[in-house]
Amino acid sequence: MRPNFQAEMIRSELEDVVGPDYITTRESDRLVYSTDWSWMAQMWLDRGQPLPLADYIVHPAKPTEIAEIIKIANNYHIPVIPWGGGSGTQGGTLPIYGGIILDTKRMHRILEINETALTVTAQAGINGTQLEWALNDKGLTLPHYPASANCATLGGYLAPRGSGTISTKYGKAEDMVLSMEIVLPNGEIIRTPSVPNHASGPDYARLFLGSEGTLGVITEATMQVDYLPEVRLFRAVLFEDVAAALEAGRRLMTRRLNPTVIRLYDPNSTASLVKHVLGYELEGAYMVIGFDGDKDLAMLQDEKGMAICAELGAKDLGREPGEKWWDHRYDFYYPPKSLKLPWMYGTVETVTTFDKLHGLYCAKKKAIEESYAQWQVRYIGHFSHWFHWGASLYDRFIIEEPPQDPQEALRLHNRVWSTAVSTSLANGGMINEHHGVGLKLGRYMRQQYGSAWPLLETIKKAIDPNGIMNPGKVGFGI
Amino acid sequence: MTGERVELLNVVEATENCRYCLMCRHTCPVGQATNLETLTPHGWGLLIASVERGLAVWNEETVHNLYQCADCGNCRAHCVTDQPLPDAIAAARATIVSQNLAPAIVYDLDNRLRQWGNPFVAESPAPVTDTGDVALFVGDDAHYLWPGAVAAAVQLLAAAGINPVLIGVGRNNGYLASSVGLKETAIMLAQTNMAELKATGAQRLLVLSPGDYDAFHRLYAERLGLAGPDVPVMELVTFLAERLRAGQLAFQASESPLPFAYLDPTHAGRVGNERHAYPRELLGAVYGRGRELFLRADRSLPCGSTALQFTSPQLSQQLTQTRLHDAYHNGIQSLITEDPGTLHQLSLYAAAYGIQVQGLYELLAAQLVS
Repeated sequence: MRPNFQAEMIRSELEDVVGPDYITTRESDRLVYSTDWSWMAQMWLDRGQPLPLADYIVHPAKPTEIAEIIKIANNYHIPVIPWGGGSGTQGGTLPIYGGIILDTKRMHRILEINETALTVTAQAGINGTQLEWALNDKGLTLPHYPASANCATLGGYLAPRGSGTISTKYGKAEDMVLSMEIVLPNGEIIRTPSVPNHASGPDYARLFLGSEGTLGVITEATMQVDYLPEVRLFRAVLFEDVAAALEAGRRLMTRRLNPTVIRLYDPNSTASLVKHVLGYELEGAYMVIGFDGDKDLAMLQDEKGMAICAELGAKDLGREPGEKWWDHRYDFYYPPKSLKLPWMYGTVETVTTFDKLHGLYCAKKKAIEESYAQWQVRYIGHFSHWFHWGASLYDRFIIEEPPQDPQEALRLHNRVWSTAVSTSLANGGMINEHHGVGLKLGRYMRQQYGSAWPLLETIKKAIDPNGIMNPGKVGFGI
Repeated sequence: MTGERVELLNVVEATENCRYCLMCRHTCPVGQATNLETLTPHGWGLLIASVERGLAVWNEETVHNLYQCADCGNCRAHCVTDQPLPDAIAAARATIVSQNLAPAIVYDLDNRLRQWGNPFVAESPAPVTDTGDVALFVGDDAHYLWPGAVAAAVQLLAAAGINPVLIGVGRNNGYLASSVGLKETAIMLAQTNMAELKATGAQRLLVLSPGDYDAFHRLYAERLGLAGPDVPVMELVTFLAERLRAGQLAFQASESPLPFAYLDPTHAGRVGNERHAYPRELLGAVYGRGRELFLRADRSLPCGSTALQFTSPQLSQQLTQTRLHDAYHNGIQSLITEDPGTLHQLSLYAAAYGIQVQGLYELLAAQLVS
């Protein structure tokens, strides 16, 4: 074995910061940290092919340690990849250029639960479910319920601008954050203003939401929390087609009925996922609608919501199918119920305004089904995160028998993604609503932002002149 | 298809399902203690799958990682699709043992378990000659580490009109051997325990801890490929709580001298959520409602009373201290539970936290209303 003197020097310096127990260069650790939840990395390993490895994995205990690590990385011009739960699906934490994986999970303390202001302040590495347990013990909840809560971290909620199951009422993770502590790419530690709504200059804090570690490391956040609701009411309805169901959703939102959940499955999803996971054999578009809060208010909202659905020809399936969906809403993500290898799949989700939503759905379905018919592609979708102005289309493609050669498989995967994303952009959609950009979508950022993209690149260069922060992600450095 | 082949397929299927799944991370005690992805259910699954694919080999480093799993069962208990990852890890460890690559302590344990039936003391379990309707499995933890539990259990059963035949006195239930990959040794212990049970003619088997329950109820059949006992198996806490509910047992109410909490013992998650109420009801009959730990019921984590106490003592200590820290943080000065192994581990470190450790069976026996 030839010595790598510089690598050992860097290791020594990192060890001086975090201590010898909190840095590893072991092969097996580097292997496990070489993948996240993205199909491309998992497929690569699945086919017995090695992935790019990080050089060091460090577990800092506090922001000042992160600052020191970043200074070392700047000195040697080596990448730093912040790592929370590793549950991202876009390859946002893949160490494609090696460098330092900065695992934040040692920073998992709750610093304050303020029961007057209804806020929680916690370190960014805390596990989502464990944070929720602590809040529940006080009758509170952080109403960001992503499917990844069991594994994701608070920092991971914010960095890619995640959405949870009840975002329709409570907003995305980014809507719940009051303030953050961030370690910048030069090692400076900053704290954003204590509240998000003010007129004291530009809201630079939002720059870090969606930056996925490319502009700094979120180390702490103060989040708005809510009281656990007195009731949660769910029911399911069945529409003959997606168009009528989308109109029902639009009316529910634009009339400000404040639903907690509108989850609309297209006919393909209804026939596959709803049948497979919930056990209902139905034809049409299955929609779950939920309201929560004080019982009398939620009952009234539910009643008005059902009237809207009835106007549009929906069949009321009753409470049980809605409640069953709520109780099993995460079952969809447990293997073998979830999509899993050796299949090829991708969640090519998007978001747009109501006027374009149905057209966008039809265009993507047509483009994917027609372009990849020879691969017997399946296209399924549901509409899950609703706003006053539109909704997200959570759509996926599935190819059950992809090419065996990993490079061929990857190329086909990229082609399907390109078809999906270009169709989204051509039909008024964004490249993504809540999974983030990561590695997979970086190449579409220039097209997404057009003449504004150089502005973002300029900001990146100003903040991170050495390009050390998660290079190759969010479209930066490619 | 042979039993071995079926088992192997199940093991492969579990690692294939778990290697990229992160849905149980919040329940893994080792992942929480180390914060290292490698030492989580998905990390172990990916490691085994990577060896299968030629991306890794079993060597000192990877074997060390695989032996960090506590085999507490929390991952499976929280898995919506019931993936038997702990069984898969045990099977992978068995392969490692067969290749003479396991940590030296494993082979030492093998010798002790084969010769003495327990890892603690160089003496053989006494043979059982009695017969009776009800058998009580004692095991090695209770016999050697927390004998007060056995005497108290016998007293409680006597109050319920039962004179149990004690079996497995000083003998391991097989979990330890199975956990570290000593499958044949685990089978030998299980078969000996089952033979003793059969010889008593008992129509019911009572056990002192959730680990013992899971051994007889599931492990012997699922992991070891043996026919399980042909009599019903019940935890003693369940039996006592049912008698309490039926008015057939009563306890003198008392005021706890210290702020107290029930601690869900190691392997409690494996039994199921319905069990959590029983020991709390029993404790409540004496002391009333206690405080609750943060890591309670279905959030519970194991103490260091798994095989880690031998293979990774430092990690084992960390797991126990996590529970004690939870109690300390919540102002609890007395921890009460029934599992002898859990009680022993807690008692090793409790004084440093100013916490008293008390056996539930002993407390109940002292408060029996005759």
